[in-house]
Amino acid sequence: MTDTNGGIVKYIPGLILCMILGWMALQWDQSIHKWQKDYQESEKILKAYDAKEGQPFLSFAEYAAKSEEKYTEKLAAFERGETKEKPKKPHLLKEKDYVTLATTKEISSKFSFGERMIQFQLTYVAVLLLGGMIIRNTIGLPKLFQPGAVMARPIIKPGIILLGGYYLWSNLLKVGVFALILVFIFIFGTTVLVAFLGRRLKQDDGLMGVMAAGTGICGVSAAVAVAPVVNAKPRDFFYAVGTILLFGTVALFTFPYIGKALGMSEPVFGAWVGTAILNTAQLVAAATWYGHDSLLTANIINIVRVGFIPIVVIFCIWFYVIKQATAEGRHEKINKWQVIKEKFPLFILGFFVMVTLNELGVFTDEHRTIFGKQFLQIFFAVGFAGVGLNIAFDDLKKAGGKAFVIGFIAATLKAVLSAIVVILIGTEAFRVK
Amino acid sequence: MAETKEFEEKAKKVFSAERKEDIWVLVLAAITVILGLAGVITPKTFPSLFF
Repeated sequence: MTDTNGGIVKYIPGLILCMILGWMALQWDQSIHKWQKDYQESEKILKAYDAKEGQPFLSFAEYAAKSEEKYTEKLAAFERGETKEKPKKPHLLKEKDYVTLATTKEISSKFSFGERMIQFQLTYVAVLLLGGMIIRNTIGLPKLFQPGAVMARPIIKPGIILLGGYYLWSNLLKVGVFALILVFIFIFGTTVLVAFLGRRLKQDDGLMGVMAAGTGICGVSAAVAVAPVVNAKPRDFFYAVGTILLFGTVALFTFPYIGKALGMSEPVFGAWVGTAILNTAQLVAAATWYGHDSLLTANIINIVRVGFIPIVVIFCIWFYVIKQATAEGRHEKINKWQVIKEKFPLFILGFFVMVTLNELGVFTDEHRTIFGKQFLQIFFAVGFAGVGLNIAFDDLKKAGGKAFVIGFIAATLKAVLSAIVVILIGTEAFRVK
Repeated sequence: MAETKEFEEKAKKVFSAERKEDIWVLVLAAITVILGLAGVITPKTFPSLFF
């Protein structure tokens, strides 16, 4: 099948492949999370048994009844207003597993495996990204699947929109204020820094314009938006995209571990990756990898950031076209409204609609679970499969030259400084709820 | 020069594809929300997809 097929047919094989990989990874994720819960429950049962010093295990029926009784008590206390948090339904071992535990007094190796996998953060996100990257760079991705695998990446976006059902405008404004400051200082700052450094080091305007927009604000989307404005050559464009992808890939696989090593809370990590990772898909993947609260914060920063694309384009027009024309004695004008209309990322309007519907009380807790946790995972899984399958080392090798050094230094500087700032600002400022 | 012009056209095409992509994304999210609000998708739907 080739491009001549046209239409959507050429995308189908790759999309189906991503859906299958996504489903397999979610199946894996469901299993390890269940085993981890079984592990924690088994540990609790064994501790209680040890505390009773040799008293026999309860029968399964007694164990289930006791758990239910405790839950009912906690629920009653919550309903009386004595506790703030609604208790969760207890996780019970299956009868067969309980009997095995009672007999052997040892935690099943399957449960320990689940616990270990979660400790190493090998959730569906890691499996899809690492698995996809390994497939792409070892056995390769046949041409038949390539258009669909590229098309799968934006399927992350409906997930971003659905996540809007989790926010209230007050949350959005609270975190949004910090997001605006971070975006303005770091993202716009990097764009300006790369542009000026490029001029100082006498680099080509086209290349540095694309690199400035790409490293500053939103990776490939911003590079695409700015490329025609600054008359970037194809070679420049691929150098810049190569640099952006290389930095994003390194960040994606290292930031979650750096975050853990630095003891970052989930909201702080979300703020960090939202500021420091250059590409929406990669930052959403890294934040999801870290935890749901991290994703909630990273999503706000990302929404603010992509909303800035038209402003960066206007800056690039001013810096590379208007300023230059003025210096040469010519007069050029920007139609700002036209730029905003053309370059504004439409999908973020969907996110704002979801926030408004939530504010109006349209969604119940069940709806929020369906949209913001369950279906979000489905969309993310298909999208992450596409992201993993599109990490080709050959593309990353396209990054090169002085421009690569400037871009990489600017992106690294932004990552280090933003890490310091978000840690200093602290968890509460970035916590969504 | 011809190469640059060709590239500009390509970049414009990519951007218009991103616009179309955003519209599809909005449609997909809207369908999910409508199905959820209508009760066609319930909290049991997702677990039922797995073993």
